[in-house]
Amino acid sequence: MHEMQVVEIKKIVRETKRIRTFFLDLDVNAIPGQFVMVWLPGVNEKPMSASYTRGDLGITVLRLGDFTRRLFELSEGDLLGIRGPMGRGFKIYGDRLLLVGGGVGVAPLAPLAEEALRDGKEVTAIVGALTASELLFVDRLKRAGARVLISTDDGTAGRKGFTTDVLAELLEEESFDQCFTCGPELMMAKVLEITRSKRIPTQASLHRYFKCGIGICGQCVLDGTGLRVCKEGPTFRDKELRRSHEFGRYWRNAAGQKIYFGRR
Amino acid sequence: MLEVELAGLKLANPTMLASGILGTSGAALKRVAVSGGAGAIVTKSIGATPREGHPNPTVVEIDGGLISAIGLANPGYEEFREEIAVAKEGGVPVVGSVYGFNFQEYAMVAEAMQGYGVDAIELNISYPNVGKAGAFFGYREELAHEVVSEVRKRVSIPLFAKLTANAGDVVAVAKACEDAGADAITATGALRAMAIDVTTAKPVLGNRVGGLSGACLKPVALRCVYEIAEEVSIPVIGCGGITTGRDAVEFFLAGARAVQIGTAVLYRGITVFRKVSREIAEYLEEQGYGHVSEIVGLAQR
Repeated sequence: MHEMQVVEIKKIVRETKRIRTFFLDLDVNAIPGQFVMVWLPGVNEKPMSASYTRGDLGITVLRLGDFTRRLFELSEGDLLGIRGPMGRGFKIYGDRLLLVGGGVGVAPLAPLAEEALRDGKEVTAIVGALTASELLFVDRLKRAGARVLISTDDGTAGRKGFTTDVLAELLEEESFDQCFTCGPELMMAKVLEITRSKRIPTQASLHRYFKCGIGICGQCVLDGTGLRVCKEGPTFRDKELRRSHEFGRYWRNAAGQKIYFGRR
Repeated sequence: MLEVELAGLKLANPTMLASGILGTSGAALKRVAVSGGAGAIVTKSIGATPREGHPNPTVVEIDGGLISAIGLANPGYEEFREEIAVAKEGGVPVVGSVYGFNFQEYAMVAEAMQGYGVDAIELNISYPNVGKAGAFFGYREELAHEVVSEVRKRVSIPLFAKLTANAGDVVAVAKACEDAGADAITATGALRAMAIDVTTAKPVLGNRVGGLSGACLKPVALRCVYEIAEEVSIPVIGCGGITTGRDAVEFFLAGARAVQIGTAVLYRGITVFRKVSREIAEYLEEQGYGHVSEIVGLAQR
């Protein structure tokens, strides 16, 4: 049973101008890629990936809408409700791992890198953002021992362009046993297209509008597969996503209407 | 041994997906039919216009069940046409659940759903968490009678009415539905309930109150089925906390001809329908019955 646990915010870390990490007084041992439902009493409840998965739970949040704006108004010592960790996390296969994270999508990949490096794996991480000051967890990944390649849309750090540009160039030179990606869905769709052509098995962490978070309401079911993002996901294998005509094209809003992703 | 005929529908087994669980899209409904093993599937309740429903948390787990208040979220009947087409690929009867804020909406959406090819309509006059929709029409027999009559004029396929135990007199409501032309009664939907977080002193659900479902609803639903089956001659479908084959058997003994399963998906997965069917068959074999119909209403005598 996933009871609502109301816990204190222990520490807030400002990662970038628009991204903060909230450490909670909740001891967890989660699998990287798993999520929690975060309740702001009287406001709303939203799913967030765990960005720190051992010891005090950490969630890393981009300020985007009303809910995250209210979350950013909280201070250390304030209370949040948590259900979870829940869902299927990433599964590590092979020894040479490649991570591709865009924006706040790096959040679940950082603990994955740490775990893999502790287990003696080799980790290369491609980290992208709009601009240099919005890059997330670059130092954390380096500290853990990962090789980090950077892209920014405006060229203020690393290669000017997208993570997928770096990925395409890298895969001309090197190969990997497994790829993991999280970020904007159109980016992930492109990542899967590239890794598929190089026959690198890939796991992607999806974001959908969640209601129940426990696999019964049906809100987050992926068309073409019947898979529930909150239960069989949020991480999926490329094989599973290939069966979905929804992935990379649209998502469903709270009413269940299809909303198509903007074309890049 | 398990195949049943329900108001003209042929079900390979008597387990149905209850409305409001997983029924928001065709893909989910199809999975419940194909992988889950349900004998029939009921869609999420669909209305005249798109609705986002209530803010989260929409579901809270408690001992013995759930309290939920999704708030009749749905994309509106027009967008649901393609979902029905996908759901039908599941190969089992598809029941279109319909709600409205007035008689005209019920009738219009039910007629549209019939046009999309659903095998039956289930009128949601049981949902308790949106003011003047759903259960608003199921609390008193006059309103229930009028909803069923209005819809009956517009649809020719089997018509079910799903009732709420929050009604003043659920048996009277059931009789009113039968009198107005309903072909079956589903009993029952969730009961009004709530949960409060003691640390923050706030109601947990975004809507403050919600509907209680799961094991703790079962004795109440069972009593409703027992009392209704005594008084009406149309089939009764049991719904409320059915988790195991033994639970389903209790409902058959009380007079139900089929059962709907919802919350148990949480405890036993999407294949709960297959599991419950197997457990019903095991019971029948142990007790020396040849067919599930032989035990319907046994506890009535």
